[in-house]
Amino acid sequence: MATVRDKGYHHWDGRLEELRFPWWPVTRNGIRLSFQRKYFKFLVAFSYLPAFFFLAGIYISERLEDFRFMVRGSETFLAIDPKYFNTYFTADFVLFMLIMILVFAGAGLIADDMKHNALQLYFSRPLRKRDYLFGKAAVVFFFVLALTFVPGMILLFMKLVFSGSFALLVQYPWLPLSIVACSVLYAVVFASYTLLLSALSRNRRYVTILIFAVYLFSDILFGIFYGTFRNPHFGLLSLKANLQQAGAAIFGQSTPFAFPWLLSLLVLAGLCIVAVAVLSRRVREVEIVR
Amino acid sequence: MTAVICTKSLSRWYGNVLGLNDVSLDIEPGITGLLGPNGAGKSTFMKLVSGQMKPSSGRTSVFGERVWNNPPIFRRLGFCPEQDAFHEGVTGWEFVKGLLELQGFSSREAADRAVRALEFVEMISDKDRRIRSYSRGMRQRVKIAQSLAHDPDLLILDEPLNGLDPLGKRKIIRLIKDFPKAGRTVLVSSHVLPEIEAMTSRIVLIHQGRILAEGDIHYIRDLIEAHPHVISVECSDPRRLAGILVREEDIARLQFGADGRTVVFETHARDKVFSRLPRLFVENGIAVESITSPDDNLQSVFDYLVGK
Repeated sequence: MATVRDKGYHHWDGRLEELRFPWWPVTRNGIRLSFQRKYFKFLVAFSYLPAFFFLAGIYISERLEDFRFMVRGSETFLAIDPKYFNTYFTADFVLFMLIMILVFAGAGLIADDMKHNALQLYFSRPLRKRDYLFGKAAVVFFFVLALTFVPGMILLFMKLVFSGSFALLVQYPWLPLSIVACSVLYAVVFASYTLLLSALSRNRRYVTILIFAVYLFSDILFGIFYGTFRNPHFGLLSLKANLQQAGAAIFGQSTPFAFPWLLSLLVLAGLCIVAVAVLSRRVREVEIVR
Repeated sequence: MTAVICTKSLSRWYGNVLGLNDVSLDIEPGITGLLGPNGAGKSTFMKLVSGQMKPSSGRTSVFGERVWNNPPIFRRLGFCPEQDAFHEGVTGWEFVKGLLELQGFSSREAADRAVRALEFVEMISDKDRRIRSYSRGMRQRVKIAQSLAHDPDLLILDEPLNGLDPLGKRKIIRLIKDFPKAGRTVLVSSHVLPEIEAMTSRIVLIHQGRILAEGDIHYIRDLIEAHPHVISVECSDPRRLAGILVREEDIARLQFGADGRTVVFETHARDKVFSRLPRLFVENGIAVESITSPDDNLQSVFDYLVGK
C-alpha cells in the first residue's frame, strides 16, 4: 500500500530562538558566496605569499649562521623588530592583494542586494539597518583580518618559537597591540571604502572598476601632483599613502612621507564618516518599483 | 473581533507624488483582499503595514504594536514582495534557508523548515536548482515559501498571482485559502477582481491612494452592478442580432461597432445577460465569432465608482 503523505502545513508551537548576533547570517552568507566565486580560493592562497616570505625571514634570522651564504648584505632586513612587521603591513603587494580580495568579495555586498531588490526581504526580518550594515562590513573585516591580523600574530608567535625566548616582547611589549591596532584600522577603512562604493551602484562591475580605480588613481594623482609641486602633502590624496603613513605611526616607525601622520588618520576617518553618511542614505526603506 | 492591522490617517508621499492618502482601516483575522488598479497605492499600503516604509503621517500597528522600526514584530509577519528579490545564483532551498536564519532559526531548524515550506508550495523537486533557472511561476512560489516558512501569524502577499498560468494560480489560491485556518491573517493584493474573489469575500477597494470601499464582495458587486456593463459581440449578422437584443429586457443601450461586424450594448444585469446570450445565439442561428467585455477590468470598475 502506498504511503499517504500529508502535504499540509503544520503550525509550529516552539519558541523562536533570540539571535544574539543578528548580523551573523548576513556575514556568513557573504563569506560563503565569496568562496563560491571562480578563482577566489586561489587568490586568497596567493595573498598569503608575502606572509610565507616573512615567515621564512624569521626562520632565517634565527639561523643566520646556517644561511650566511644566502643572506650576505641582508642582515639589516632580517632584524626582527617592529620595523619588520611594519614592512609586512605596509607592503605595496599586501595592500594590492587586499584590494584584489575586496574586488571579489566586497564589490557586490550591497550592489547585488540593491540589484535584486533583496533589501525588502532583509528588512522584513527581525534585522535592523545597523545589523545589516555591520553584517556586510564583517565580511570585509573577515578577509582583511585574515590577511593582516592572522599572519601578523602568527609571525610574532613563530618568532617567539624559533628564538625560544620572549626577548622581542620584553623589548617591544606594545608590538601585539600595534598588530591589532593596524589590523583594525585597515579593516575599518577597507570596510568603509568597499561598502561606500558598493552602495553607489546596482551594478557589481561598476563597483569593481570603482574599487580598483579609486585606489590606483588616488595614488597616481599623488604621484603627478608630487612630481609637479614637490609637496609631500599631496600624499593625503592617496589611500595607499595614508594607510602606509598611519601604519608606520602605529608601529612606531618613521613615516614614509614628510607630513604628520595625524593628517592621514584624519583623512581616513573622513572617508569612514562619508561612508556612514552615504550608506545611511542609500540603504534605507524600500521604495516602490513601478 | 480584534483588528490585526490597524491604520489611522495613514499617508505617504513620494516627493510631490501622493502614494497613499489618509487611510484609516482595520483588518481582522482571515483573508482580506486589497483590490486596486496599477498605481492605486496597494504596494505602498502593503509596505507601510509590513514595516518596509515609514509613513509620512499617520500610524500603523500590527498585533497592537507599531510596525515601523520594530524588528521583533517581523517574527510574526511574513512578507512576499511583488518584485523578484532573489540572488539568482543560489538554489531555492538556500534562498529560503538563508532568510530563515535571519529570523533566528538555527541552521538545522532553518534547513528543515525550508524543506517543509518548499514542499508546501510544491517546489520540493526543484529545491536544489539555481533560481536563475526557475520559471515565473516557480519564482513566485519560492517567494511565497520564504514568506510563510517561519510560520507567521500575519501573511502579506503583494500581487502573488502576477504572471502565473491558470494552473499555477489555482495552486497559489489554494495555498492562500489554506493558510488562515488556525486563526491567522492574510492580506493579499491584486488588480484582478476574479482573483481576489476566488480567495476571499472580504475586500478593500483602493484607488488613487484612497480607500473607495470596504466590506463584503457582494456589497462591492452591487456597487459595480449599479453601473451599466459594456458587452461587445462580433458575429456574422450584427443587424439581426441588434434586432433581437433590443426586444430583450436588461439591455440599456445598443450601438454598432466601427468595423460593422460588432454589436456593442450596455446592461445593468451583466450575469443575467451573459447566461441568456448562448440561448439567443442558438435559437436564432447567429454565428458568433467573439464576445468581449471591454470594461471587464478593474480600471473601469473604479471609473464607475469614482463617477468618471
